[in-house]
Amino acid sequence: MAKTSLIKTKKENRIHYGSKAFDVFLILFMGLLSLIFLYPFLNVVAVSLSSNQMISTGQVTFFPRDIIFDGYEMLFAEQDIWGAYRNTVIIAIGYTAVNLVCTSLLAYTLMIPDFVLKKFLTVSLLITMFFGGGTVPTYLLVKNLGLMNSWWSLILPNAVGAYNVFVYRSFYKGIAPEIREAARIDGASDFKILSQIYVPLSKALYATFGLFSVVQIWNSYYDALLYVNDQSKQPIQMILRKIVFQKGTDSMGNTAQMLGDGVMNKLNVQYACVVAAMLPILVIYPFVQKYFAQGMQVGAVKG
Amino acid sequence: MKSDKTKTAFDIAKPVKKSFFHQLSKQRQLVLMALPAILLVFIFKYIPIYGILIAFKDYKASAGVWGSEWLDPIWSNFARFFKNVNSWNIIWNTLKVGAVTLFFTFPLPVVFALLLNELKGKFYKGAVQTISYIPHFLSVVVICSMLNGFGSTTGFFNDIREFLGMARVDMNAGSTYFLWNYVGSAVWQGVGWGSIIYLAALSNVDTTLYDVANIDGANRFQKIMNIDWPTIRPTATIVLIMNVGTVLNADFTKILLMQNDTNRSQLDTISTFVYQKGVVEGQFAYSTASNLLLSVVCFILVFSANMITRKLDPENSLW
Repeated sequence: MAKTSLIKTKKENRIHYGSKAFDVFLILFMGLLSLIFLYPFLNVVAVSLSSNQMISTGQVTFFPRDIIFDGYEMLFAEQDIWGAYRNTVIIAIGYTAVNLVCTSLLAYTLMIPDFVLKKFLTVSLLITMFFGGGTVPTYLLVKNLGLMNSWWSLILPNAVGAYNVFVYRSFYKGIAPEIREAARIDGASDFKILSQIYVPLSKALYATFGLFSVVQIWNSYYDALLYVNDQSKQPIQMILRKIVFQKGTDSMGNTAQMLGDGVMNKLNVQYACVVAAMLPILVIYPFVQKYFAQGMQVGAVKG
Repeated sequence: MKSDKTKTAFDIAKPVKKSFFHQLSKQRQLVLMALPAILLVFIFKYIPIYGILIAFKDYKASAGVWGSEWLDPIWSNFARFFKNVNSWNIIWNTLKVGAVTLFFTFPLPVVFALLLNELKGKFYKGAVQTISYIPHFLSVVVICSMLNGFGSTTGFFNDIREFLGMARVDMNAGSTYFLWNYVGSAVWQGVGWGSIIYLAALSNVDTTLYDVANIDGANRFQKIMNIDWPTIRPTATIVLIMNVGTVLNADFTKILLMQNDTNRSQLDTISTFVYQKGVVEGQFAYSTASNLLLSVVCFILVFSANMITRKLDPENSLW
């Protein structure tokens, strides 16, 4: 008996040491991963502020070298960045408002067990999760409705999504139905029940999905590429796309001259614009990240 | 009794079955509430589905969808797609991009979640988690701008190449580095965010299971494989089925940005082809036909993925 117990202790010890080693490895490995997640951001900011000589000799890593602000000066002088910010904010607010209001109203009605259209509407929504008209039919529709070059073309087509409606409905279902019964007996209309009871009780839901939709609009360029040709109406991502991917556009005439002088690297302006496009989201991220994580779970568990 | 009408708007307890329209008029407030969303869904989701008809028609904008003549033979646009010299290349690209992406972006969040769950130290764990979500919030234009800059001869990727003793090359030209850039950035963006649902599932593990495993002398790896992995398997199965359905819907907004004059035809996938033919060249009917082919294949894929799951793992299938 003594022998076996000895062996067992040895084995336990081995497991113990192996486990410790694994812990240390994990700590280092996760540290390395975090660095990989963060490095591109640091590098972009560093390069946007460094001189051409440092960039072209590959000496810029974490921190800017030979700091110059020419990239940013050029960007704000040549492009209407503030105008693009304004456009994006208006589109994001409009989209989020339409999205939250329409989704809430529909989700509430679908939660009511004896609503006559419940089944029909649920199935109709489910179908849109699997079938869609695709790029061209939607494009032609927007065109025929006369929404080209209007911000409505970026707001209305995707304002109501089936997935969101179902998540909202699940969330509302989590609110005790007795509250609704009681309010109804007191003579409250359904609209009043939704706006004065359900909405205030669903703050977490609205925080999450409101933020999701703002980020979604902030980051999208494709709809604007399709529907908004008017430069003065375009969102920020379209400006970035123009600067980085449309080579030889006359809009950057001065920049080309500067580049010829060798003062600036083309990456100065490009990365300055990358920073301008992602900064607002990154600034609010620390404040809202816990809601995002919660919201993902609401969607995953209940959706 | 005067306000009776509003109060009993949807009394379930009514034994007498009223006609549909009678009920509808009683529930008119609910109908009114649902109406804005119904209109949006009908106009922007259902009218385009009807618009798919133009795939079978000689579409004239002046005549509209219904007024345009049917094609003769009716499948000409589909035949044309397959006769296109480049079409098999396009189909191959679509499959390749989708499959390689799925191969990396599906399992890595699972592994990341399992490892993160093993990490000691609550603060450190939270910090790693928070940092890992950040890339998710970058737009596709920002990602592609970064790739474009990093891959340029003076960029970060080439700094690494030089460090490893390789020559500096323009990684944005041609299609040699496309797949690495595309998949690598997708993993970088998605691994943290994708792990959230698995971590949520893992936080619900019954901790007594670990105690029992400890008594049995299980090591870390055995505990992960026998306790943690079974916990997240149902979630992983559903995520996999959903991902298989989107395997052909490679993020074409990203590919559109990564295409340039040196690699456009080599990088074409069905979705970029649909955009190029339809929106850029105005060949609406042909583009819609290609898009329809894609949708049908995607639908078949989700369906078969679910069928296979139902055979192998009946409890976790989607339907």
